[in-house]
Amino acid sequence: MYDALTQSAVWRVKTPKSGLVAIALAAIVLALAPVAIGPGSLRLLVEVFTMIALAQAWNLLAGYTGFVSVGQQAFIGIGAYGMFAVALKMGLNPFSSVLVGGIVAAVIGAFAALALFRLRGPYFAIGTWVLAELFRIFFINTQYFGGASGLTLARVLRGIPRDVRLNTTYWLALALALGSTLLIYLLLRSRFGLAVRTVRDNEASAESAGVNVWGTKFMVFVLASFITGCAGAILYLNTMFVGANAAFSVKWSALIIFVVIIGGIGTIEGPIVGALVYFTLREYLSDFGTWYIITFGLVAIAAMIVAPQGIWGYVAGRFKYHLFPVEAEISKDLPR
Amino acid sequence: MSLSKGTSRLALLTSAAALTLGLGAAGAWPDTIKIGYISPLTGSHAEFSETDPFVLATMQSLLENGLEISGEHYDVEIISKDSQSSTDRAGNLAAQLIYDDDIDLLLIQDSLSSITAADQAELNGVPAISTMMPWQAWMFPRGGDPAVGFEWSYHFFWGLEDVIAAYQDIWTSVDTNKTVGAIYSADPGGEAFGSADFGIPAALGQLGFGHVNSGHFQEGIADFSPQISKFKTEGVEIIAGHSHVPDFSTFWTQAAQQELEPKVVTMAAALLFPSGLEAQGDRGDGLTTEVWWTPGFPYSSSLTGQSAAELAGQYETDTGRQWTQPLGYSHAIWEIGIEALKRAGDPHDKEAVRDVLASGNFDTIVGNVNWADTPIKNVAKTKVVGGQWRLGGDHQYQLLITNNASAPEIPVEASVVLLGDL
Repeated sequence: MYDALTQSAVWRVKTPKSGLVAIALAAIVLALAPVAIGPGSLRLLVEVFTMIALAQAWNLLAGYTGFVSVGQQAFIGIGAYGMFAVALKMGLNPFSSVLVGGIVAAVIGAFAALALFRLRGPYFAIGTWVLAELFRIFFINTQYFGGASGLTLARVLRGIPRDVRLNTTYWLALALALGSTLLIYLLLRSRFGLAVRTVRDNEASAESAGVNVWGTKFMVFVLASFITGCAGAILYLNTMFVGANAAFSVKWSALIIFVVIIGGIGTIEGPIVGALVYFTLREYLSDFGTWYIITFGLVAIAAMIVAPQGIWGYVAGRFKYHLFPVEAEISKDLPR
Repeated sequence: MSLSKGTSRLALLTSAAALTLGLGAAGAWPDTIKIGYISPLTGSHAEFSETDPFVLATMQSLLENGLEISGEHYDVEIISKDSQSSTDRAGNLAAQLIYDDDIDLLLIQDSLSSITAADQAELNGVPAISTMMPWQAWMFPRGGDPAVGFEWSYHFFWGLEDVIAAYQDIWTSVDTNKTVGAIYSADPGGEAFGSADFGIPAALGQLGFGHVNSGHFQEGIADFSPQISKFKTEGVEIIAGHSHVPDFSTFWTQAAQQELEPKVVTMAAALLFPSGLEAQGDRGDGLTTEVWWTPGFPYSSSLTGQSAAELAGQYETDTGRQWTQPLGYSHAIWEIGIEALKRAGDPHDKEAVRDVLASGNFDTIVGNVNWADTPIKNVAKTKVVGGQWRLGGDHQYQLLITNNASAPEIPVEASVVLLGDL
């Protein structure tokens, strides 16, 4: 027998285990980090991990599904404000509130998709930015959320011992970085992942091949909003204070795009590499004032000239190696 | 003669132990005090830090040979960080200074950072001194209560009520029709100055002045015609409010085009720095503002003995730039920090340093800073008077003190000239 059902079984990826092994190893080693490293480094890692998650979410949108958002800060801010609101106003544990922040961002992302999906290409990009600005203005003018002055979490965190607070925040950030990487990795290897890339490459042929284009885009957008919302909540759990001008700043999108482009767009390794490069540069250069910003610009320009596919794109192209392979290849042993 | 095996092993062990002890001692001595300093060297608030490299260089040379405290010698390490004018970055930097660098004292010369960085100090039990932010904006967003205060964070600056008193002083010293038109930016500053409870509208009510409120404008707005035409219809003679330089420039240019001719313009934020006036061309002449430090202040530095005029003079000589108001506060925060470490007896004893601050009374180049005797816990209020920018002097514009009702010890240098009489 050789029917459509068995034929679908030949869509297999080449090295199915390397990504899972890498994530499992990273999880074991990094989860134990609080034993070995100081609180300052832990906080830095929280920033690194949340950036990886933010970059993975944006890469899923731009690199795999083909829509460029410059309004990711909308969901960072909503995640953060959602978390602060339930922690401060309803007295929920601030750590569990992170999940609430993510869910609120996903719900708002779902509603936003209804309007945003009417726009295409650059119009979609500008639309996402407008959305973020709408929320910024809303939060600045809403006294319930502290208005332009913002909200502080110090009051509810004061009773929690320092180590508990730092370690829990760290584990949350680690879980989000690894979880989002794993989820996106598994997702892209599935049938759904194939549909996602078909939509990116050509919506019309995807539609004619039976892919539910709108539904696919919707699922991806909501998932990216959820991850971004969780990341926003953890970021501001780390700083303990949220203000609308900082949380809804377009700087976030610029930073995320920098990380993904430098690391390698359209690869799962790219956001991780990009985040590591960004934080390494920041830690070494941030004491040099304006030169710090100029150096970032030069790095971005250099990367675009030397390695337009980003660092990982360059490495993968040169050595034909993928730690997280998602491209399907027909295996040689066709089913009989 | 040869040493036995046992002796040589013993010798080896002894020398190893001595080496270890020696290294240990070398690591522990000289004892180093670490002071963290956060200021906005880059980003939207960079102007507030323009004088910082100069102040930091002064402190480096003063502390080069360390400090002598209660008969002990300490080296002093200054760790300066750039907040990039971001509240998020400032909080993370404060945590980094506390956790990684293990600082003994945190100094925060940054309006935005004073919230997040002070919260980090508070949660981690490190004494912190901050300035550059009206005390309300420092206390209330952090959930503070003036009757209770905080444990580890201490702030010195003025409050909204002091700035507004200086404005009232300016407005009542000149002859107008007592009608004020106001523009407020949609940000924390504009929100505070526009507050009906404690902002400019409330103060005008007390004075019996009329208030034409044009509401809050979004920063970067291109057209102020509705506000300007409203002010013209209502016969406004005084313009007030809170705006940053770019928006004020737009407003003031359009006011000229549309022939709005007020007698007095007093704007918070936009008129702090000479650059903000220079951006107006010659139309900066006669604009009025709050003044919290100038070379004309009658105070001197406890560190260098310099008068305010001498400090500003040295700054201008060394850098070739005009002095700005934050110079006094950047200097004063170090005066207080160093003095507090000295008074504590043991500068590493964080609780002792905190107690010195809590009961502290410090004479600085911005005047007396007193946390012992204050109705607002953890806040020491400093002086604000009224001033007017005039063309002329050593630079394009000079700032002259015109009104001093709240601080008679600060000498008046000129009286307010109405814009129409220039």
